[in-house]
Amino acid sequence: MITLYDFELSGNCYKLRLLMSILGVEYKIVPVDFYPGREHKSATLLKLNPLGQLPIIDDDGLILRDAQAILVYLAARYDASGNWYPRDNPALLGEIGQWLAFADGITATASAARLHDGLFYDLDVEAARAGAHRLFRILDEHLWFGQQVGRDWICAADHPTISDIACFPYVLLSEEGGISRQDYPAIRRWGDRVKRVPGFIVMSGIFPAGPARAI
Amino acid sequence: MSSHPWHPIAASHDLPFRHVFHGQLFGREFAVWRADDGYVNVWENRCLHRGVRLSIGVSDGRELKCQYHGWRYSNRTAGCTYIPAHPADAPARTITNRTFPAEERYGLVWSSLEEAAALPRVAGLDDANLLVLRGMPLNAPAALALAHLADYRFQPNNAIDSKEALVSIEAAEGFSIALRARSGSQETLAVFFVQPVDSSRSVIRGVLDRNAEGMVRNTILRHHNERLSALRDRVEREAAALPAAPPIEPVYESVAPELAEMPSLSASGRRAAITVQVARKWMTANDIAGFELRPIRGLLPTFQPGAHIDVHLPNGQIRQYSITNAPGETDSYTIGVKRERDSKGGSSCLHETVREGDLLAISEPRNNFPLRRDAVKTLFIAGGIGITPLIAMAQALSHMSLLSELHYFAQDETQLAFPERLATLGRALTSHLGLNPQATAAKLAELLVDYRPDMHAYLCGPAPMLEVARRIAAEKGWPDASVHFEYFKNTKAIDDSSSFEIALARSAVTLRVPAGSTILEVMRGNGIDMPSSCEQGACGTCVATVLEGEPDHQDVYLNDAEKRSGTKIMTCVSRACSARLVLDL
Repeated sequence: MITLYDFELSGNCYKLRLLMSILGVEYKIVPVDFYPGREHKSATLLKLNPLGQLPIIDDDGLILRDAQAILVYLAARYDASGNWYPRDNPALLGEIGQWLAFADGITATASAARLHDGLFYDLDVEAARAGAHRLFRILDEHLWFGQQVGRDWICAADHPTISDIACFPYVLLSEEGGISRQDYPAIRRWGDRVKRVPGFIVMSGIFPAGPARAI
Repeated sequence: MSSHPWHPIAASHDLPFRHVFHGQLFGREFAVWRADDGYVNVWENRCLHRGVRLSIGVSDGRELKCQYHGWRYSNRTAGCTYIPAHPADAPARTITNRTFPAEERYGLVWSSLEEAAALPRVAGLDDANLLVLRGMPLNAPAALALAHLADYRFQPNNAIDSKEALVSIEAAEGFSIALRARSGSQETLAVFFVQPVDSSRSVIRGVLDRNAEGMVRNTILRHHNERLSALRDRVEREAAALPAAPPIEPVYESVAPELAEMPSLSASGRRAAITVQVARKWMTANDIAGFELRPIRGLLPTFQPGAHIDVHLPNGQIRQYSITNAPGETDSYTIGVKRERDSKGGSSCLHETVREGDLLAISEPRNNFPLRRDAVKTLFIAGGIGITPLIAMAQALSHMSLLSELHYFAQDETQLAFPERLATLGRALTSHLGLNPQATAAKLAELLVDYRPDMHAYLCGPAPMLEVARRIAAEKGWPDASVHFEYFKNTKAIDDSSSFEIALARSAVTLRVPAGSTILEVMRGNGIDMPSSCEQGACGTCVATVLEGEPDHQDVYLNDAEKRSGTKIMTCVSRACSARLVLDL
């Protein structure tokens, strides 16, 4: 069984819980006192991830770090539909990889601003917020033009992929870092769609959507 | 600037079913949602319960549910339909969110901050055939965006890759500008509406006069998006160099007057009979806020110098404040509120929460600190915020040219409240600043030295100062009947362990007051109405006359002579030493 080294308030841990919930994968959690205990920097955790970061999973001895990498692994291994990480579609895989890297950019900006505001990290919060707005403008434009051609998700497919899961948490938590999403209506609509994926679960700060309208 | 108050606040495609759009116009935020029946709701973006943004709420197509405590509001009326914490109760119909007009036209959703005549038609646009561009939010004032739009260059729909088109301004009015691009035989009209989001934020919403299909449509949308993005970058660079205007602070509407005037529910107890509006709030001294309270309608009841009102605060607390008005000043009540460092919520609520324009429920004025106007000389001794009843009294005597002195003890000049009122007292006013307790006592001894018959002293201030002043007055020969005082609060620990019987002589009722209950509570519990105000033995409102028995006084309202006589009792805190008290009630 999968063991997730987890911090409840981490968006990067949440995205793994979210995908595992959607895929119906069973897992157990080892809570890590990320704040204020800084347990992710403890000797035990550094042995699992020398970068001193969460999340980490242990799947029957396979130890993996990095949220995006773990999303790739979980989808490739446990998604029977093959939709979340379509191994036989190179163009889509390339696109997914591109947006997984984009998700890292969101972590470096929007998540950093949230760490500053919520957990008192000492960093240049204005730069972090400006960086997040720059990324959000790109994402909003991308999603808006996608909608014009009937595409609901980040990548060119008629179903969500792990790129949606990778980008979702820290976009939706941005206001905890003082980053309003008011100017990104296409992002806000996409957020509703992700929340309506069967198996969706919430975390603190990410609220559920109501049911979609019956067609 | 504009001939009408309508502005686009969203595109129609921003409102899919079951989505709540976050809009804003002139600083005022909206929760915008399309109900399943197609109706577009434009609401104030705050839940009436705790002020949480409704734009993070959940639309079920018929109702919008607040994310915080689940209050639900109905499509169209915005009336509250359900409060989860009170599942058995129907929410009062008065709980209705503020709505704004909504109109859908030209692929945009329009609203207005005021009731407006019909949305005017825009020349050259036809609802049946147009193309709505991607809205372009900018961190820049609307005026700057409009100025740059005059130089906006674009290609006609069917000539995106042709040579650069000629663009002319077709019309410009208010927050909109219409541009026509011509290239060869092709031409396209683009109308841009600039939505003033806030003082330094706006959205460019463009509409083209012709729709297109498939890839051409996409190419046109991309073309404008690229050029508008470039325009946005130029405008934002220019805006960043300008001094930023402060964000517009929207004024939230108070409760509608007809709702505000609904009578209070309770038949007894502390009634809030009058609704007043905060006409003015200002800092009258360091840490002391002045509030001018005006009636919603009609006249305020008569007040006398020394009177106080109960103010029912938005946080549910009830506090007493003296009316500071001069005689005849009856169009409003002015109170002074000191911000207490150890505030239990009263003063901080008034200081921080209550704003100009807010409505407050107050009691009618009561006067338990009446002023004699027959003294040969009157001394007013105020400590700190204790000035409030005394300033009303001093103004009354001053106006009648009766001999009086107002001695105002305060930390320093910045602590002197209501300087404009104090100024009317002329030489009757003396301020004593920065005295420590010993120096205060010495000054009081000086002031109280020469008692003559028919002199009266009125004291209001902190308890330690009043204790000292009363002791000195007694030592200097002032009879209790000439020394009048008002405490802010009763700081004595109340002992309610006794149990006794009260006989209400006029009502022919005998009741048992058990330990832990007050006379007032027992009477009210048995249907006997009794006015009260502070309910801690300081204000004197719930006084009753004792016919028989020995009161156990625990109040700070009665003076020593009154207490010794045993003829009066404060029913909110005082009890009986005897097994039985007969009250004239």
